Amino acid sequence: MKLKKYLTLTRAGIIEALQFRLSFLVMVVGNLLYLIVVYFLWKAIYASAGTDVVNGMTFSDTLIYLVLATALFNFMEMYIVWEIGRNVQSGKIVLDLLKPIEYRKYLFWAYSGTFVTQFFLTFLPTFIAVAVVTNGAIPMGINLLYFVISVIMAVSINYSIDFIVGTICLYTESIWGINIMKQVIVLLLSGATIPIAFFPDTLKTIVSYLPFQSIYNAPLSILLDGEPKPQTVFTTLGIQLAWCIGMMLLSKLFWKTSLRQITVNGG
Amino acid sequence: MSAIIEIRNITKEFKVLNRREGLKGSLKDLFSRDYKTVRAVDNISMTIEQGEIVGYLGPNGAGKSTTIKMMTGVLEPTSGEILVGGNVPYQNRTRNAQEIGVVFGQRSQLWWALPLVESFKILKDIYQIPDADYEDMLSLYRSLVDIEPLLHKPVRQMSLGQRTLSDILAAFLHNPKIVFLDEPTIGLDVSMKSKIRTLIHALNQKKNTTVILTTHDMGDVDALCHRIVIIDKGKMLYDNDIEHLKSFFGSYRTLRLRIDGDLKAQAEIIGKEIPECSVSADEEWISVLVDEEKAKVIDVLAKLQKTHRIKDMQLMEISTEEVIKKIYEEGVK
Repeated sequence: MKLKKYLTLTRAGIIEALQFRLSFLVMVVGNLLYLIVVYFLWKAIYASAGTDVVNGMTFSDTLIYLVLATALFNFMEMYIVWEIGRNVQSGKIVLDLLKPIEYRKYLFWAYSGTFVTQFFLTFLPTFIAVAVVTNGAIPMGINLLYFVISVIMAVSINYSIDFIVGTICLYTESIWGINIMKQVIVLLLSGATIPIAFFPDTLKTIVSYLPFQSIYNAPLSILLDGEPKPQTVFTTLGIQLAWCIGMMLLSKLFWKTSLRQITVNGG
Repeated sequence: MSAIIEIRNITKEFKVLNRREGLKGSLKDLFSRDYKTVRAVDNISMTIEQGEIVGYLGPNGAGKSTTIKMMTGVLEPTSGEILVGGNVPYQNRTRNAQEIGVVFGQRSQLWWALPLVESFKILKDIYQIPDADYEDMLSLYRSLVDIEPLLHKPVRQMSLGQRTLSDILAAFLHNPKIVFLDEPTIGLDVSMKSKIRTLIHALNQKKNTTVILTTHDMGDVDALCHRIVIIDKGKMLYDNDIEHLKSFFGSYRTLRLRIDGDLKAQAEIIGKEIPECSVSADEEWISVLVDEEKAKVIDVLAKLQKTHRIKDMQLMEISTEEVIKKIYEEGVK
């Protein structure tokens, strides 16, 4: 069976992730600290604004959005750029290239185990906590189904972007700067650190033509919309699907042409 | 026998940045870059038959790994043709990967945190090995080495020797037509080296797997290879059987001795006692180069032991580097 070839990598990823108990603890604590900072920062912003509603969002709207964005980030971020860069530098990439699976797929499935563990260990608890604490601020209906579909596409777009940036490492053979740049750009323009509603109009227009908002803004706005109009949902999902396919093809093409560039280090 | 690997006139060139020296130079490099072309592999041709064990030798930086990377499909040759099992490796890398196994002595393809048996199961699924073949292979492994204690040990807790052994088993698991072993015995102790040589030999015999072995250890070559290919600076120097190569290094051994007193003076005395050998001395050792066709090392040692108090001794094999140097100097006879 073909799928087994990939799912075995997911399984290995889960087992591997479960070996490191402490790293989970550290991550949970780190997240908590980040969320505390977010809470006070936005509290200050709302206090200085003097109104309860800023850019159409209340304080609790913003907070719920940002907490879920953080949870989504923890779940989706795979540090692929870092991984590719490190493998290029150490030369380990040769071993991965020699697996009978296309490298793009191999890396994705090798990391898919982290999706599963992160989903259950960070996203789901945060989601439930937010749902319970806010007492029904997250609508529970058909939007959940749309959200799942949206997240799956978001994961794919995010991976493609990571893979494209990771491919650049073949040329530069350095990782750090590129990785930081990518992270800042993606987190800002996707609406993961500041809700897109807060962006100035020009930036909002620019962002709407970029793939990044399909990663965080799209699934979160679908999730938080209690009475989804079919038309809005399908537009959002349609744009996501287009980016999903577009970025996948682009990352594939870029990788294929770049591989000729490769000069594998060491050995 | 049929050819499994055919290489015709391959050349690989890399563009390398000429870096300037110092801080000022580094700053200049940011703005203007000066590339030069380095030819890592220069017009190499060879044909390898199914089931052969070929020793692929050469000093560091000779172009061995580059050639192997071209055979596995990781690198594309600048010019020339390669066919591996009928495929052009860099065009069909994933298909080619199904037919080959690799071991790089310095790195592991195993899942670091998982017990070995988990890595095997993953590889079984990735390579889509049928259950029956997988079981056959495992029982073959059991008959060759004691793998039970290894199977349930996480790879990160293994010693280097155990890890290398596991990596070799992993490379053969999907019964590939060709296995590339890049310095598999690097850093291992003598008993582990011999264990690994026996294992490679047995797997080659049982499965008729072609093995391409790069190494700096002439012991590996002696134990395993019938045919040897030597390259240096990207050019092929030698491609023939090992018997032929032995005429270059086989008969020479260096005997190193430590004796009380002034070594230079002692060396002269020894030189007179055994005129058939050339004797030299440095700060620590007296080196006696023995040509075994003229005198046996054991006889020389016996003779010297009567007249001198030998505190310490070493017997040195001629290294690959020395063989290559000799071939360079004298040419292939």
